[in-house]
Amino acid sequence: MGPLEIFLTFLKASLFSTGGLGSLPSLHQDLTTNNIATDQDFGQAIAISQVSPGPTGLWVVALGYLTYGFLGAVLALVAVTIPPFLVLALSAGYSRIEHRPLVQGIIRGVSLAVVGLLLVVVWSVLSGPAIGWRGVAIALGAFALAYAARVNIVIVLALAALSGFILYS
Amino acid sequence: MPGNNLTLPETGPAEVQPVQPNLWEILKVWLKIGVQSFGGGSSTNLLIRNEFIYKRGWLSEEEHLRFWVLCQLVPGINLIALTILIGKKLGGAAGIALSLAGMLLPSAGITTLLAVGFSVIQGWSPIQAMLKGLTPATAGISLVVAVQFANPLFRRAKKEGPIPVAISFFIIGGGAFAVTFFKLPVVSIFIGGAIIGGLAFGSGFLNRPKKNIS
Repeated sequence: MGPLEIFLTFLKASLFSTGGLGSLPSLHQDLTTNNIATDQDFGQAIAISQVSPGPTGLWVVALGYLTYGFLGAVLALVAVTIPPFLVLALSAGYSRIEHRPLVQGIIRGVSLAVVGLLLVVVWSVLSGPAIGWRGVAIALGAFALAYAARVNIVIVLALAALSGFILYS
Repeated sequence: MPGNNLTLPETGPAEVQPVQPNLWEILKVWLKIGVQSFGGGSSTNLLIRNEFIYKRGWLSEEEHLRFWVLCQLVPGINLIALTILIGKKLGGAAGIALSLAGMLLPSAGITTLLAVGFSVIQGWSPIQAMLKGLTPATAGISLVVAVQFANPLFRRAKKEGPIPVAISFFIIGGGAFAVTFFKLPVVSIFIGGAIIGGLAFGSGFLNRPKKNIS
């Protein structure tokens, strides 16, 4: 695969997916069948995204590096940056109809659905097999610090990592 | 710029006057977010709220929520779409470019550097233990974002009465329940929320004047 094909593979995966890990199935299929990447590369790229800053979706930058070096990382970054620009067209269309009560009602309903989906994230993390009472305690502590005490998020995460080190090692 | 107008005037207290910060300030704030945004989407959203809504007043709570909803409807990484919308609101095309640069270059750079060295450190047990601590913390942070997103929606519903409050709880709870226990795809939850929201809040059904029986 040449650089252009690598770029188009990442672009296609991003264009036909939503969210951070939505591009995983498409990339897995395209890159493993061509022996460009292994399952281990995918696991490693996702693990890296958990400890690095930025959107989780930037795991593809790590995958780009692991499969095609620094050029791969750059191509992956450019590829995932392009599809979200469609939001400008959507926003322009929305601004023409935003004052209609029906549109406001629809957006309000979707906003509430977003809240519900965030609760799903909370539930799915806390109901994981390796969480236990220690994980629930860390989650509650993070919530209390970030919400009630408005503690800086980096400090909250650093304290969570420290708690993990103390409780799990 | 149309994006500067708030669309949910009934929510009142969170409204802000349109502000046009200079481009250097925009880049500075996004760089700060870019290097601090450990922990995925919820952490980054929380940082964005703290910097743009609470500290600087460049964005209202409603705008942030509306932008985030629009980001759910386009392909790709939602946070990049959000960065584009906020960048456009604050500084037009240059605002978009600088916001993306500030948000993505530090995080993509650190991600690449970690990819270079990760195979060396991934087996270390202290790293594994720290990762085990970070995972549940993201649940706590997601809960913070959920509560902050829900606050203006419920403030508005409370003003309208008990039925809108009940409908709001129903959409949140029903969506969460359907995904968790029936494994419904996320897009169906958005469609369901849109239909119920459109019918309940947008059709005038709740505000229809009652017949005067005398």
